[in-house]
Amino acid sequence: MRNIASLVFSAGLLFLLLVIGAELALGYPDMRVGAEYLRIAGPELGAANIVTAILAGYRGFDTLGELSILFAAATAASLVLGHRRADARRDPPGGLVLSAGADLLFPLLLVVGIFVVVHGHLTPGGGFQGGVILAAAFFVALLANPARTLNHALLGWIEGLAGAAFILIGLWTLVEDGHFLTPLLPLGTMGELVSAGTLPLLSVAIGLKVGAELAGLLAHLADTEAPDR
Amino acid sequence: MTLELPVDLLFGLNLDLNLDLTRVMTANAIVLPVVLPLLAAFLMQPLAQVSRLLARLLGPLVLTLGAWIILNTWLEVGPAPFSVAIGGFAAPLGIVFYADQLALLFALAVQVFTLLFWPGLGVVAKAEAAADRQRAPRRDALALLLASAATGLALSGDLFNIFVFYELAAVASFGLVCADDSGRARIATLRYLFISAFGSVLALVGIAILYLQTGTLNLAQLAQVAPETLQGPIGLAAFALLLIGFGVKAELFPLNAWVPEVYATAPARVSALLAGLISKLAILVIVRLLILVFQQPEASQLLLVLGVLGVLTGEFSAWRAQDFPRLLAFSSIGQLGLVAIAFSIDGTTGLLAGTAVALHHLIVKSALFGLANRWSGGLDALAGAAKGAPRAAGLFVLFALSLIGVPPLWGFWIKLLIMVGLVQGGAPLDLLALGAILLATAVEAHYLFRVALRLYQPPVPDRALRLAPPARWDTGVAYLLGACLVVISVAITPTTEALRVLAQQTGDVLLYIDTVFPQPLADKE
Repeated sequence: MRNIASLVFSAGLLFLLLVIGAELALGYPDMRVGAEYLRIAGPELGAANIVTAILAGYRGFDTLGELSILFAAATAASLVLGHRRADARRDPPGGLVLSAGADLLFPLLLVVGIFVVVHGHLTPGGGFQGGVILAAAFFVALLANPARTLNHALLGWIEGLAGAAFILIGLWTLVEDGHFLTPLLPLGTMGELVSAGTLPLLSVAIGLKVGAELAGLLAHLADTEAPDR
Repeated sequence: MTLELPVDLLFGLNLDLNLDLTRVMTANAIVLPVVLPLLAAFLMQPLAQVSRLLARLLGPLVLTLGAWIILNTWLEVGPAPFSVAIGGFAAPLGIVFYADQLALLFALAVQVFTLLFWPGLGVVAKAEAAADRQRAPRRDALALLLASAATGLALSGDLFNIFVFYELAAVASFGLVCADDSGRARIATLRYLFISAFGSVLALVGIAILYLQTGTLNLAQLAQVAPETLQGPIGLAAFALLLIGFGVKAELFPLNAWVPEVYATAPARVSALLAGLISKLAILVIVRLLILVFQQPEASQLLLVLGVLGVLTGEFSAWRAQDFPRLLAFSSIGQLGLVAIAFSIDGTTGLLAGTAVALHHLIVKSALFGLANRWSGGLDALAGAAKGAPRAAGLFVLFALSLIGVPPLWGFWIKLLIMVGLVQGGAPLDLLALGAILLATAVEAHYLFRVALRLYQPPVPDRALRLAPPARWDTGVAYLLGACLVVISVAITPTTEALRVLAQQTGDVLLYIDTVFPQPLADKE
């Protein structure tokens, strides 16, 4: 019965997708909003990277929602993961090549991550991408030496304060200007590091939050007891 | 000399601006019930390291504040709908919140019900194990995220923003469902996760189609351009995809396979929130889409068919259910089918009936899940439970009667309203739905009375009564909701009138467009 139901459902879905494929005028999208963004985003927000201008400016509220989704996923995962008996066996260290490689990579990843975060309003990238690179910097070290643990309390503080900073910037603009998350501060010259008003601050908050969250999540995964073989 | 006049002028201007600013601030403060829970959730874990007591109190405090802000805004701004451009970016480029009475009512309900079913309330701290104490801040953070997302769903006027909040609600509920660390709950969550992720992907495809066809995702602008761009099969396909996506949380017919297992294994209060609150907000999103974007009759017919199938499958499965939470879960599927049927009726009648049945189910089903906290075993084990808890059993009977639709209670008037609406519609499909509702009511009456009879049976001596320790808080909440139900049943005329005004406002597409894109005064003349 269940198989028949899923077959019928799949057939219906396939039909739906076929109809869409046949009917949709692909290739010439109606740029009602998109063209407008391209026209005014640069002058209005002063960010050279229009993607960041849209993500942190026009649709900054969505970005806050996405941050929260990641936070919810990390929190839910930490509820499920990370159970470990005190005497459980850990994987052995990864050997000289891996640990030397990890040591070499660590500062490199850190610098690249910080660069991507801080230049979010200028070059491709931004808080999310840079945050992932930052998390990787810490996780590579964990892979090389599984006995090492990250300080979850510290990560929790960074994560919480960075997320709070994003919202507090929004609340500050609400008090100052009457709108939540509206860009304030002088725009400066487009293309310079200190420009585009509050956008870089938001970018840094996102980067720190995503980095700490992902590092914590990966550490939880690594810390979960491996099945005995 | 020359400076005096401008200064005076500036002063006058300033005063005006200030007055205006307070009004704007009041309206803009409506983002706070969405944002403050997020802030609290982010800070929950660090705070728990400083002071456990503060962390426990933070959630209820924030929710109370949110409820107060919404009430205050509602009273200040009055009954007319208003829109808030978030970040000060005007409508199609930025995200807007659209707050009419329906949105405010549900936003308020989110705060109140999350508070009533707050996971940490009324639980004695000493009884909690050490492991639980470690989990508590995480669980509370997830509950706050759920509340924030649900408030956002009620208020947002931008389809992508709605999708973001929908995802947030989904992910937060995954965590809440398996927060109790039982294997069965985890398996149920995994299934829930797969179905939900599948639905979300399809909803995203639907949103992409809308964007490709219209070039915008602002609901008001979609409402403007929909008559030209979304007629025909492509618009219908987009609606079907969105219906599948949002139908997962709304427990619509083919997408509700996760419901019984999740509600049977999740903590009862989480079930109450998911079945009572979150399902309604998903339905609310579907209704907004139906009113504003997909006005073709086929779209509401699709909703009607899914509703009928939901009513029939839900009620018959509930009839066969062997334990109390599963029975409630299946009955919830049936009731949400009824909500879908009600909203598929044309015009104000449909919106009125739909809102009423959604609110009724919100009150009744949440309260019943609250009672399930103490009666979480098989149905057989309930024999004689009325002896230990006569008032709780009495409440159950009250809610059951209203669910079935026994005359003086609110449930009766709602079912009457739906049936009158269907008869007025008069199409064969409407009459089929009418028949389905009557049949389902009979089935519903049978299984609910069976449970009620079992409650009042003499206890079976050889079967030890394994009742959960009396959850005082939950029973208290059930009393409160029961009192609400009785009050509404007594004051049925004013309630219906208020809901009718609300429904008229909700159904007014031009009002929505004009509120989001206020036209300059010169244009109006």
